[in-house]
Amino acid sequence: MAFDKLIELVQAGDGELVAAEVQKQLDAGSPAPAILNDGLIAAMDIVGEKMESEEMFIPEVLRSAKAMERGLAVMKDELALDDVQASGKVVIGTVKGDLHDIGKNLVSMLLSSAGFEVIDAGINVAPDAFVAKVEETGANFLAMSALLTTTMPMMKQTIAELEKRGLRDRVKVIIGGAPVNQGYADELGADGYASDAGAAIKLAKSLRA
Amino acid sequence: MKDVRNASRIGRLQFLSDEQKRDIYLAALEIAGSIGMKVYHEEARGLLADAGAQVEGELVKMPRHLIEQARQSVPAVTLVYGREGELAMELGGYNSYFGTGSDLMHTYDLETRERRASVLEDVARAARLCDALPHMDFIMSSAHPTDVNPHHSYLLSFREMMRNSTKPLVMTAENADDLRVMVEVAQELRGGEEQLRQKPYFVVYNEPISPLEHPVESVEKLFLCADTGVPSIYSPAPLAGATAPITVAGHTAQGVAESLFGLVMHQLRKPGAPFLFGIGAAVLDMVTAQSSYNAPEYYQTYMCMVDMARWLDIPNWGYGGTSDSQLLDAQAGMEIAQLTFMAMMQGSNLNHDVGYLDFGLTGSLEEIVVVDEFVGMNRRLFRGVEVDRETVTVDTVREVGPGGHYMTTEHTYRHLRSAQWRPTILNRYGYEKWQTEGSKDLREKAGDKARKLLADHQPPALPEHVGRVLDEKVNGFTERVA
Repeated sequence: MAFDKLIELVQAGDGELVAAEVQKQLDAGSPAPAILNDGLIAAMDIVGEKMESEEMFIPEVLRSAKAMERGLAVMKDELALDDVQASGKVVIGTVKGDLHDIGKNLVSMLLSSAGFEVIDAGINVAPDAFVAKVEETGANFLAMSALLTTTMPMMKQTIAELEKRGLRDRVKVIIGGAPVNQGYADELGADGYASDAGAAIKLAKSLRA
Repeated sequence: MKDVRNASRIGRLQFLSDEQKRDIYLAALEIAGSIGMKVYHEEARGLLADAGAQVEGELVKMPRHLIEQARQSVPAVTLVYGREGELAMELGGYNSYFGTGSDLMHTYDLETRERRASVLEDVARAARLCDALPHMDFIMSSAHPTDVNPHHSYLLSFREMMRNSTKPLVMTAENADDLRVMVEVAQELRGGEEQLRQKPYFVVYNEPISPLEHPVESVEKLFLCADTGVPSIYSPAPLAGATAPITVAGHTAQGVAESLFGLVMHQLRKPGAPFLFGIGAAVLDMVTAQSSYNAPEYYQTYMCMVDMARWLDIPNWGYGGTSDSQLLDAQAGMEIAQLTFMAMMQGSNLNHDVGYLDFGLTGSLEEIVVVDEFVGMNRRLFRGVEVDRETVTVDTVREVGPGGHYMTTEHTYRHLRSAQWRPTILNRYGYEKWQTEGSKDLREKAGDKARKLLADHQPPALPEHVGRVLDEKVNGFTERVA
């Protein structure tokens, strides 16, 4: 296959060589959408499977994602906006009062690696700030994280704020964090809950489909 | 050469002060010298009398100087090699190795989960499983086959162990006759008597009978080992409160005397022959009449024995991965962990009985898999901590800074595969993922792993001439001995 080498390089996580290989493919006349879909995205699908089967560790998945982005950057001018954004756009953050962000960062990086465009709203994000971000970016996902039982109620307030602004139907709301569970997601009327980073990516992919 | 030392680089357990060790040693000298022991092997009595021991009928009183002389000639380190001739164990110092035990009358069937009488196939299966497990360092029979002539059982087990693993063996034998066949086969494997002496393939487990008796068979096997350079264990199993004093110090002192008595006979027969000191520190439970391998007093005498072995500077025979429980349950988990951890912390050398349940009466392959995981985890722990510029890595902390993360730093990638030990059966899933994977407990996961390894793993075949000699000699023996 024409993209075997590229697929290997993305899995190995070597951004420099990925960029060079993408350039080589472009020079050889491969169409950019083919390089993207049959090369970069195909490679990240394999990476996702290997993460699931515990062959690849999380930092290796993240490195592959970065390598993929390096490859994507080479084709910036060749690719139409539609080619890239088909996957979904996610606004992500920790809720107001919550400064614990390693889980959120991990989900954010893994979502990028799965082809989502991620807008990281950061930590301690108030309901109106979340909603403003959704409105401003045209995102179709909102992902919220809370580590503390005291900050969990902010998820509910954020959803209420979305409803107030008439944006609730436009976005899938997904939540996570140690004190949160499926029951709480149902109670809030969120679209989904994931118990860990790997599950969050699966959830987002299933809701995108 | 491959480094096979597995010494703990961190903490040490010490149960006895130097003064207490000396007191126990002096007590052992008094037991051997003024009480004496019964030696039923005539040639051994002659050897002892010639060397200066006081012999009255079968009773032999051992003067101190013979014990001191044997301590001088016994090697402090004994090397043991695998079937293919590679160095496998460096017995001595703080190096700790683990393997199965021998002669379990019952086995938990891996398929049916039923406890049933052990058969020869159980010996083969345990050997093959241990061959596949990275932290099982040597092989014992595990099961005692009840489906064959008892006089053939040790030799038939030997054949299965040799065929099903490349790891070194620890053998039990009925007497010098079946043991001699094992030695001859090992000589064929190595290419001669001298070659086997240079690279021992198996160690023999010999025992006196407590209190203070040395049977003919034990001594003839001990002598055969001395003659051929096969390392010999000489470890009594004094039962505290029944065949030894009930107190830890008395239990230890008598055991030390009994093991050292064997050492003297062994070193008189062949000075410098490899020997392992030991005490099977079993404790009689005075309510149930069971012989516990995990009573705290057992642990105490065991640890005192290792203290004494180190003080005497003789490699020791030890214990690990054993439980009194009838099931691989929480009690088993607790006992396996405590015994094995103490053995590693103390640097006990050659530790057997992995996979024992039910006071050494029932074997469990699942338990062997659990102990392998436990030893693997703790080998990481006892490896110690590297502290240098690369591992302290202030530069990486500077690069990440407040509020950043380490998941994509070069430093994390560099150490990703080596910095963290990975479990194979311990559960690290979150609740949902654990449910998705079948809500399995440790025993079930250990069983899955054992079944998979047994389905996939096949050690290399014996060289053709060795396999032929093995069959000829074993078949010759079984035809000769009814």
